[in-house]
Amino acid sequence: MTIGNATEQVANSGTNGRPKSRPSLIHIILLVNVLSVLAFVGLWALSTGLGWVAPIFLPSPSAVAAQASKLIDSGELWIAVLSSSRRVFLGFALATVIAVPLGILMGVWWPAKAIVDPFVSLLRPLPSITWIPLTILWLGIGESQKIAIVFMGSWLYILLATIEATKRVDPLLIRAARNLGANDLAVMREVILPGALPGILAGLKITLAISWSCVLSAEMVAAQNGLGALIWQAKDWGNLPLVLVGMVGISFTVLLADALAERIERLLQPWERHRRS
Amino acid sequence: MSGVLVADHVTKTFSAGGSDVVALRDLSLEIAEGEFVCLIGASGCGKSTLLNMFAGFIQPSAGQLLLRGQPITGIEPRCGVVFQSYALFPWKTVRGNVEFGLKMKGVPAAERHRIADKFIDLVKLNGFENHYPVELSGGMQQRVTLARILAADPEVLLMDEPFAALDAMTRQVMQEELLRIHEQSRKTTVFVTHHVDEALILSDRIIVLSARPGRVKAIVANNLPRPRRVDIQLSPDFAKMKAEIWGHVEEEVRKHVEATRLSSAAG
Repeated sequence: MTIGNATEQVANSGTNGRPKSRPSLIHIILLVNVLSVLAFVGLWALSTGLGWVAPIFLPSPSAVAAQASKLIDSGELWIAVLSSSRRVFLGFALATVIAVPLGILMGVWWPAKAIVDPFVSLLRPLPSITWIPLTILWLGIGESQKIAIVFMGSWLYILLATIEATKRVDPLLIRAARNLGANDLAVMREVILPGALPGILAGLKITLAISWSCVLSAEMVAAQNGLGALIWQAKDWGNLPLVLVGMVGISFTVLLADALAERIERLLQPWERHRRS
Repeated sequence: MSGVLVADHVTKTFSAGGSDVVALRDLSLEIAEGEFVCLIGASGCGKSTLLNMFAGFIQPSAGQLLLRGQPITGIEPRCGVVFQSYALFPWKTVRGNVEFGLKMKGVPAAERHRIADKFIDLVKLNGFENHYPVELSGGMQQRVTLARILAADPEVLLMDEPFAALDAMTRQVMQEELLRIHEQSRKTTVFVTHHVDEALILSDRIIVLSARPGRVKAIVANNLPRPRRVDIQLSPDFAKMKAEIWGHVEEEVRKHVEATRLSSAAG
């Protein structure tokens, strides 16, 4: 996380021309980040190497590294990452396609909000894992069930963020657009959609992380492959290094997805460039 | 009544916290073609309310507002508004903002481009066509709103304290720009301000509104010679007129201060 922030500062100080002395502080922060990680791994190696912790509770870093390289070489890790990613992508995309238009409609037209609101209130307290029994009954334990769990865990958050973003569009801008001759459709296309976009994208980004936790819990309950299944099966085989490799794999995959989402967010809103720096 | 813009016995009442507040009472006025009229008065006298009714943003409680003899019943694109807080679209570039009204009229892209260039030129923002509003200073942003409304070519310009958020120097520059643009275009303009100096620099006629409820307290013809520049402030005629208008305004400001003191004492 800290590494991410530090690189972001470097990028920003480059674009708006801050004094050149700035990057040196960034480099020091980066160095401390790296040292902190190395110290942690060293302490970990020491505690397992000297027998402070039994290997059945915590394997050594070298055992984890060996397991990781075995998994990468066999291609199993990529298969797990890809099958989890595919489920997240499909469930999340489906949730976006349904919840964003519905949220905009609910934000601008009160009857839509009045119709859907009771269901939102009832569904919101339910964590996505509570849908596992029903979805298995309806959809079996195949791909569509995992995608359904991701969908159920994501769409409400996207919906709520979209309603909020739509309602926050500055009414003065709507007034100005109408004064310049915009009709309802033009107000929607030219003002409400771009005005709500930052809030919608922020909501999508937060929800993406939630989607990942949904797919992992679904995979841990019933799946042949995927990162969740990988660590759950490793536990059953008593292969602790594999559990840790799976967890690190999840961490990196979600971080990567987050970084990708950040890039897309920036590309879609060139006018937000300056607000961030 | 023959004016381009007419307020005919207009009353506007707002309900606030259970009680009714009369913002304007039985107000009538008329604005002629090509005229630059300043509405001036103490804060809370309803000058912005009147402007918002001319734009069709709000409806009067009694009486009516007319544009070329037709009642104004909804948002009226023929009365273009320049807002105090600019109201630029942050996701559009300077060019995108200036082209907006033309786009809404269905003007083809090439034509839009050409017209936008002309008005970006007029407000001296060449070179900033592809900048976003957030990248511009307050004065430059207000120039963009001016270019945006002029490009849309409404029949009447309604300006609601457009320079109030600017610093004193930028304000003077903008006043001079507006003088130049108005003397070129001769577009009928209603300009709300609480600055006596600003009203005198810009207007052909000054309408002083009374403290709440707002009514026409005085109408003063401003015969300072045109074309004008902001240095008109140094002339003796300017000083004489300023004293006259201030005489009308001062009494109303005192009333307003008194009223707020009474209401806060009562509350």
